[in-house]
Amino acid sequence: VLIIDGHLDMAYNALFHRRDLTLPVYTIREREDEVHNASPGHPDALPERSGPEIESPGTCTVTLPEMRRGEVGIMVSTIMARVQAQGSNLHNAARTRLQARARAMGHLAYYQALERAGEIEFIKDTATLERMAGAWQVPSTETPVGLILSAESADPILSPDQVEFWHEAGLRSISLTHFGANTYGHGTGTEGGLYPPAYPLMDALAQTDIAIDLTHAADIAFWQIMDYWKGPVHASHCNCRALLRGQRHLSDDMIRAIVERDGVIGVVFAESMLNPAWDFEDLSSRRHNARRPMRAVLAHVRHICELAGNCNHVAFGTDLDGGFGRELSPTDYDTIADLQRFLGLMMEDGFTREETEAFANGNLRLFFGRIWGD
Amino acid sequence: MAHLIVDGHLDLAFNAVQLNRDVTQPAQTVRAHDSMSIQRGFGSATVTLPELSRGGVGIIFATAMSRIYPTDRWTRTGMYSQSQCHGIARGHYGYYEALEQAGLATIIRDNKTLEATATAWRRRGEGNQTPRHGLVLTMESADPILGPDQVPLWHRLGLRMVSLSHYGKGHYAHGTGTEGGLLPPAGSLLKALSECHVIVDLTHTTDQGFWETLEAYDGAVAASHHNCRRLVPGQRQLTDEMIRAIGERDGVIGAAMDAWMLDPSWNRKKPAREQATQATLESVVDHIDHVCQVLGKPDHAAIGTDLDGGYGQEQSPRDLNTVANLDRMPELLAKRGYGQPDVDKILWGNWLRMVKDAMA
Repeated sequence: VLIIDGHLDMAYNALFHRRDLTLPVYTIREREDEVHNASPGHPDALPERSGPEIESPGTCTVTLPEMRRGEVGIMVSTIMARVQAQGSNLHNAARTRLQARARAMGHLAYYQALERAGEIEFIKDTATLERMAGAWQVPSTETPVGLILSAESADPILSPDQVEFWHEAGLRSISLTHFGANTYGHGTGTEGGLYPPAYPLMDALAQTDIAIDLTHAADIAFWQIMDYWKGPVHASHCNCRALLRGQRHLSDDMIRAIVERDGVIGVVFAESMLNPAWDFEDLSSRRHNARRPMRAVLAHVRHICELAGNCNHVAFGTDLDGGFGRELSPTDYDTIADLQRFLGLMMEDGFTREETEAFANGNLRLFFGRIWGD
Repeated sequence: MAHLIVDGHLDLAFNAVQLNRDVTQPAQTVRAHDSMSIQRGFGSATVTLPELSRGGVGIIFATAMSRIYPTDRWTRTGMYSQSQCHGIARGHYGYYEALEQAGLATIIRDNKTLEATATAWRRRGEGNQTPRHGLVLTMESADPILGPDQVPLWHRLGLRMVSLSHYGKGHYAHGTGTEGGLLPPAGSLLKALSECHVIVDLTHTTDQGFWETLEAYDGAVAASHHNCRRLVPGQRQLTDEMIRAIGERDGVIGAAMDAWMLDPSWNRKKPAREQATQATLESVVDHIDHVCQVLGKPDHAAIGTDLDGGYGQEQSPRDLNTVANLDRMPELLAKRGYGQPDVDKILWGNWLRMVKDAMA
């Protein structure tokens, strides 16, 4: 069954963590072990003279060959570049918007290079989306993975008149904020709403068919967006606050509001968003190893379906390459190919085949198809 | 008229993107912002736009820098695949474009802009505002170019000079620190570069690669940041024969300011902060003078500082705190006996001649 993953950060992994995503995860794991890391590097890189401090992204579980193996044939994958005041835990934030724009252009170019190599194909309209979905009914080892381009934080957009460029480039979903307070408003881990520049930005976005992703909006910002923005909304990677606390997760009211607007919520496969012992906004509650299996995600799927009264508003939004690896992924998960097993768990749990397939690919196809039209 | 300096080699975008430095701020601000790991790994920043302004460095050859170099965990611009290199390099150009969009710099893509920028800088101080910096876009290692058919795209983006290799063995050629020459994909790439009149930068070629490139390439050549082997031994420097060959092709050689390229006693295996170089800006003039003496004229020597190429003040000429101190170069060259027309050629005229020809 074709799986559409509603949230991955492929380009970030390729450029920031230097991962060649066209290779098996096992190759990347070997490259990132201590022996390889101790080998002589650059002639000017002395032991006393190491590079920037980069937090380890954990054991790699997501690369294109694994996606093909698991029929994760279409992905919503990000441009990920935000500005944030420097401090702890911010190794991947940019100091200024100009730098964020540079990173974003790099991410876009990486996807373009993958497309040139035949590894992926940009999906910008319904016809291509359905053609790719069709191709994945009879996949080969060479079938390109479809890419719906998204942006996690709008910081790289320096002014509303740049929206057109990004739309042209393929951008189809954007979250205005990410972690911290950014250019356009308050994001995860902060309390506050939108900043004034968010409104002309939304006006420009409204001229396109780009959806707004509410995932990293702070609570106040969430409701401000819902008030002002009349276009399509979704939450690409969010779990349920009813099951674990913290602003990073959607309250029941938020879920209902997204459902009312015909949005889709992607569920996340991260220990940090499955285990109630973990407070997303409290670094001291962090763990090194996962305790929850994939079954733990089922409760979130179930909860969203119950609130919606149907299973048409929930999908994968795994975030499985979002700065963590196998260590903090579900305990019975090894690579992204294992997502197929999650579909089996759904059926065992009583979801019908139709519901399971809607979850796997149908809901996101319909979501984007509705926005893009014929 | 005020003096103008054209710097033939800086890695501004690498500093901005990989090191997260805001190079629009004074150097002392960047130094204060830098984390301990950046400070220890890359030294005290000397190059930012305000410092360049103070030094009269108005036109900058600015790189996109990425290459196939799997073990580069230091600069994090060395990659495993060309697709990644392409992403990094387009990100670097994305930074220069952002500087332009913010009104802080101008990307020079034609001779009209080049001349306007040079004139504005030479007339500064006549009651005018500090002009915008002019950026000539270059590339250190051609690995981000995914094939010869992509050269026109890069040219449209602004690419005017490229070196086929950097450190290690790339897709197109062997580079500094290796033995070997051009690799098979270099042939068709050079042909495409020639069609777009892109200057080929011979810095970071191996000795074999140097001569093979000269033979294979019919377009303009330069050595953007390169000193003289006669004064400092090692593959990274140019022999007198190489200097003559570049002169014969009407090329330009930019004097670099990295201590290990100026000071034969510099120990690359020791952190910069644990040693002190004897090199000064006078040593830089030694290399410029050597090029002029070998060629018998001042038409091929220039500046290509590389001052933000992975090191800082600790590994720069000891009388240089920031790139602003290049404002002493006119006086130092004059002291060495160079008249004003010759000083002008060395500090800006020679580079401008090359770029102008490339964009004619």
